[in-house]
Amino acid sequence: MDAATVADGVRGQRRPIPIWLVIWAVALLLTAALYLFQQLWPWAVTYPEAWTVPLRFWVSDFMKWLINSFDLGLFTFKEFTRSIAWLLQWPLDFAGGLLASGFKLAWGEEAEWFIPRLSWLAVTAVVILIGYQSGGIRLALLVGGCFLYLVIFGQWDSAMVTLSSIVIAVPIGVVLGVFIGILGFRSRRAERLIVPILDLMQTVPVFAYLVPVLFLFGFGPVAAMVATIIYATPPMVRCAMLSLKQVPTEIVEFGQMVGCSRRQLLWKIQIPSARPTLMVGVNQVIMLSLNMVIIASMIGAGGLGFDVLSSLKRLRIGEGIEAGVAITVLAIALDRISQGFANRPPSEQRDRPDSFIARYPYTTIALGIVIITSLAGTFIEGLHTFPERLQVTTGTWWNDLVSWININFFDELEAIKTWLLLNVLIPVKRFLLVLPWLAVVGMVGLAGYQLGGWRLALFTGSLALFMAVTGNWEKSMISVYLCGISVIIAALIGIPIGIYSARHERAHRVVQVVVDTLQTLPSFVYLIPVVMLFRVGDFSAMIAVVAYALAPAIRYTDHGIRQIPPSLVEAGKAFGCSRRQMLWKVQLPIALPEIMLGINQVIMMALAMLVITALVGTRDLGQEVYIALTKADTGRGIVAGLCVAFIAMISDRLISAWAQRKKKEFGLA
Amino acid sequence: MESPERSVKISCHDLWKLFGDNAKEYLTEHNGSVSAQSLKEAGLIGAVCDANFEVFEGEIFIIMGLSGSGKSTLVRCMSRLIEPTAGKVMFENQDLLKASEHELIDIRRHKMGMVFQHFALLPHLTVLHNVAFPLEIQGVDRASREQRAREIIELVGLEGRENYYPRELSGGQQQRVGIARSLAVEPDIWFLDEPFSALDPLIRREMQDEFLRLQNLLHKSIVFITHDFDEAIRLADRIAIMQDGHIIQIGSPEQLVLEPATDYVAEFTREIPRAKIFSAGAIMAPPTGNTLGKVSASTKIEDLAETVVNSKSDVAVVDSDGRTVGQLSRRAVLDVLVGKSTA
Amino acid sequence: MKAYCRSVFLAALLASGTALGAAPESKDPIKLTIHDWTGQYITTHIMGRVLEEMGYNVEYQQADYIAQFAGLESGDLHVAMEMWETTGKQAMDESLKTGKTVDLGETGMKAIEEWWYPLYMKEKCPGLPDWKALNDCAEAFSTPETHPKGRYLGGPVTWAGFDDERAEALGLDYEVVHAGTDAALFAEIQSAYERKAPILAWVYTPHWAPIKFKGEWVEFPRYSEECYNDPKWGMNTEKAYDCGKPRGWIKKVGWKDGEAKWPCAYQAVRNFTISNQAMGEMVGEVDLDGKKVDDVVENWIKNNEDTWTKWTQCS
Repeated sequence: MDAATVADGVRGQRRPIPIWLVIWAVALLLTAALYLFQQLWPWAVTYPEAWTVPLRFWVSDFMKWLINSFDLGLFTFKEFTRSIAWLLQWPLDFAGGLLASGFKLAWGEEAEWFIPRLSWLAVTAVVILIGYQSGGIRLALLVGGCFLYLVIFGQWDSAMVTLSSIVIAVPIGVVLGVFIGILGFRSRRAERLIVPILDLMQTVPVFAYLVPVLFLFGFGPVAAMVATIIYATPPMVRCAMLSLKQVPTEIVEFGQMVGCSRRQLLWKIQIPSARPTLMVGVNQVIMLSLNMVIIASMIGAGGLGFDVLSSLKRLRIGEGIEAGVAITVLAIALDRISQGFANRPPSEQRDRPDSFIARYPYTTIALGIVIITSLAGTFIEGLHTFPERLQVTTGTWWNDLVSWININFFDELEAIKTWLLLNVLIPVKRFLLVLPWLAVVGMVGLAGYQLGGWRLALFTGSLALFMAVTGNWEKSMISVYLCGISVIIAALIGIPIGIYSARHERAHRVVQVVVDTLQTLPSFVYLIPVVMLFRVGDFSAMIAVVAYALAPAIRYTDHGIRQIPPSLVEAGKAFGCSRRQMLWKVQLPIALPEIMLGINQVIMMALAMLVITALVGTRDLGQEVYIALTKADTGRGIVAGLCVAFIAMISDRLISAWAQRKKKEFGLA
Repeated sequence: MESPERSVKISCHDLWKLFGDNAKEYLTEHNGSVSAQSLKEAGLIGAVCDANFEVFEGEIFIIMGLSGSGKSTLVRCMSRLIEPTAGKVMFENQDLLKASEHELIDIRRHKMGMVFQHFALLPHLTVLHNVAFPLEIQGVDRASREQRAREIIELVGLEGRENYYPRELSGGQQQRVGIARSLAVEPDIWFLDEPFSALDPLIRREMQDEFLRLQNLLHKSIVFITHDFDEAIRLADRIAIMQDGHIIQIGSPEQLVLEPATDYVAEFTREIPRAKIFSAGAIMAPPTGNTLGKVSASTKIEDLAETVVNSKSDVAVVDSDGRTVGQLSRRAVLDVLVGKSTA
Repeated sequence: MKAYCRSVFLAALLASGTALGAAPESKDPIKLTIHDWTGQYITTHIMGRVLEEMGYNVEYQQADYIAQFAGLESGDLHVAMEMWETTGKQAMDESLKTGKTVDLGETGMKAIEEWWYPLYMKEKCPGLPDWKALNDCAEAFSTPETHPKGRYLGGPVTWAGFDDERAEALGLDYEVVHAGTDAALFAEIQSAYERKAPILAWVYTPHWAPIKFKGEWVEFPRYSEECYNDPKWGMNTEKAYDCGKPRGWIKKVGWKDGEAKWPCAYQAVRNFTISNQAMGEMVGEVDLDGKKVDDVVENWIKNNEDTWTKWTQCS
């Protein structure tokens, strides 16, 4: 939000509260009146079908034109995207060959040469070495343990397919992100264009743009990678813009004073100084790429994602969990390595010896390991491909566990579920569905006005209107209902856990691990057991959403309380606050803005899960997007995807405006 | 103080910097005569208003002012880090404001050095590479720039720490790196923007001595920014005092104390012990009687008080060539010390 | 991987295509699409293995069952081995109309899709499998949310099963709940089966479920095209869909221009047939006995050489 709206917000806060109470009361009365006298204005209650703007058909037509007829002069748009795909294919094939499939070289018609992939021993050893370089012996052990899991649990082949696409997608995403970030940093106008696009990229569900991606980039791993890059790059762009802006002016001035050209200034001064924040971006790209593994496998990326899907389709829950954990394990290893590099002292060599070996000791060792293990692997097969008979699986144990719970506790679970469903879920859903659309649009605008002035009101109001106008009102309201309830439950569970973990160091450590796992374990893994225990429907969807969206509620609460200036806590102690008083009177109120940002994240993640919940049979925007995907209906998917994005944006802007105001009040901004 | 043989290094003429929309048009309209009231009405902020002064070769010129007085903006206008709204900055007979981007880069690479309040060291480079950085930008080859960097590091007393990273150094050491780095290119004009403000008082003192030692060796033309009047009188040849964007007085420390142009200036000088300001030359009597021992004419009273007070007779005052130019009585020194200043 | 290791390090291999006489027309890989159910995975891999034996390069490409038509039309994908009349006919017809895809004939398998219940439900609802018994047992099939109506778990909405219409046309006191995916559908069936709990759901074959779970399909009035198109047909004269689901062919579809590129390969795909029985057994081996798909396919190739060599005859 810009200065004007914030200023409006500040002014708003000075208005006496009772006026707002009155205004809201009037708004609610009007809503009730609309509902009660709906015969008078039926169009204000249910959006008339005749008024629907056929946007989805326009989008579809536009895409058709883009794909079939858009000519850039020398070549068509599709040829352009296809040649990008062709370019991307090369590194992908190379990484795939190196890690997963080996290289098959054909000469003429008859002869073929085969170079095998790197052995598990070589890859693990190199990764351990990287871990050691990035974070010392502890990290080396952790990373080694992660990769040994992949070996021992027989996940190696798939994990390497996944890893090979990650190691290509991440650098591309990072480089692309940095360049776009630089563009946005250098030109205000570019920034104004980029930021809303980033908002959309992060909130429109991936499924919505899979179809056009497939059309433009062809079926196969490259399309999956393109989708991954689209999904994973935005945080990198944001981090790049932010970090470049955060470089102290003095350092930039220093660069100017020694006579740096623009380019020197950027590459020798600004980028290196921005490195810590840039690394946060890299880390985000890695994590988001891994989040995409399942969806990518639906359009041909293969690897662990495919294993998860196919085992769960066959109800081999255990195998699915093992493959899912493999994704988590891979994510943890890559996450910790990248964090290690981010926190490590700068990498410049203090003295540069002349010999290659002394100058690049790690590279040399790594090369040595690769050569030695490859040779050894030629003679001893087990060193190249881990013998199957030594592999372990816990698959049946998980299956038995789910069956056992199913047989012994189903009735209890069913009772809880039924109660919640009949007393909470269904009434809320019905209530939201009967609300007149006009009133809802109005109230969303009103909230925008109260929190951020006219501009925000216009913004939120028109986004809400979009849902009605494109004929997605009912589905949007069901999405709001499902996400809303899930968010409330996630907050009710997450905030207390966050508070507890902020005040107990040991609990904090345990909670961190759980939170990391929740965020990286593909939701599909727990979706199927949940369906077995709670049947297809809204309740299962809600549980899946809560499980996925819980993490930020915990994390932000924990962080919010921890970041309270110690002087405030000391002041509280000096006044003789008990622990309980300290929490309620000091810590919580001050941490509130941060907690609200956490809730904001919870909402974002809940909306991100909407599409996944369509897999267990909800009837919301997620389902609309999913249907569009399977019917290859571009327009339908994108319009529904935009509705999801707009719900996200409305809540994001409202909450941010609110939190901004509060932070200002507390002088924490 | 202004000796005719000294040449002007850099000078500002009718220099203006106004922040706000349409500042340039506003200024042409009002033709340089602007009141604070009218600025306010136009929604502009006058960071630098009509600055006129020159800095001589080898001089320490200090710009003193409280925060918000426009001193940092002024020094940035002089190097065109900030584009002035109007006026001229003459550097070695060239108007900097008319220099092309290319010329400007060239001037900055070879003729200017700057030290920053918060050091502005590059966190990813070692001390050696930080100091060598300006030379790298100039395109000096690796061996010679590292050679030169080592020399300067030795000059500022950091030998042995070439391979440390900035965060491994104390604040004082970091600023030594900053100083060394700004001197690496042997600049003709040396800007120091509150170089010691971020340091602890004790270290600050030590760094001021270090700075004077270096200046005795190097004789640079210096523009030094500070908000600390003590620091200013300790280091300056001449001081310009800024208030609300205006330079309200320029003069030697003695002049400021003796003839404060406004109450504002007087307020600064009131608490300053005279012994810190006056040098022997300022209170000496003509050379008439017997003397015992001698002091230099530029020595501050504070520093010679003990010698003179304990002396049984007047002390001779000599100029930099060793010629006797006057003599100093016990009485005169005591007067200064107890504040019965006349001179 | 074992195969790779035997040939570790620059081992020269002879292309095996010459063994069957006809050299492939093009070395470009033929891309076969794979979807997310085991049967299709097996058919496709059998076909792939046969093509490899003929000397072709084969790639398997994960693609969505319906969305794949875009790829088949553009030539990104080449052959889809299972297109079910029951669920994919509409999309297939539309695609064939573009002239960019070609019908490669039936697989010989017959798809059955219908409302299904486990055998233990017969005790609670003795009138089954006749559909007329359904209303009497609606309560037996109900859950708290649907009570007193019965609950029928349909497939994903994209499967186009017209179950909502069917329930209405036949006046069934059932609420149709749609599973989001195939996986969710069978997860719920398995869960109910373990507990011997009531369940009425959409089950299809060839699939492992009817092998693993003992059950029967409900018998509705027999499907005919008029039933779906003509409201007057059947017992409900005002509404269509007053009958069971079609049982139909499973066909192969391909990229039109591939026929000219790999004529013999396309011929072999056309020749491919397999029985429900054989397929069901293989699906069972994979999904129930936990064997690896590749081993099962390899086994079939070994034991049925006579069958598949006939497919490879090319004129």
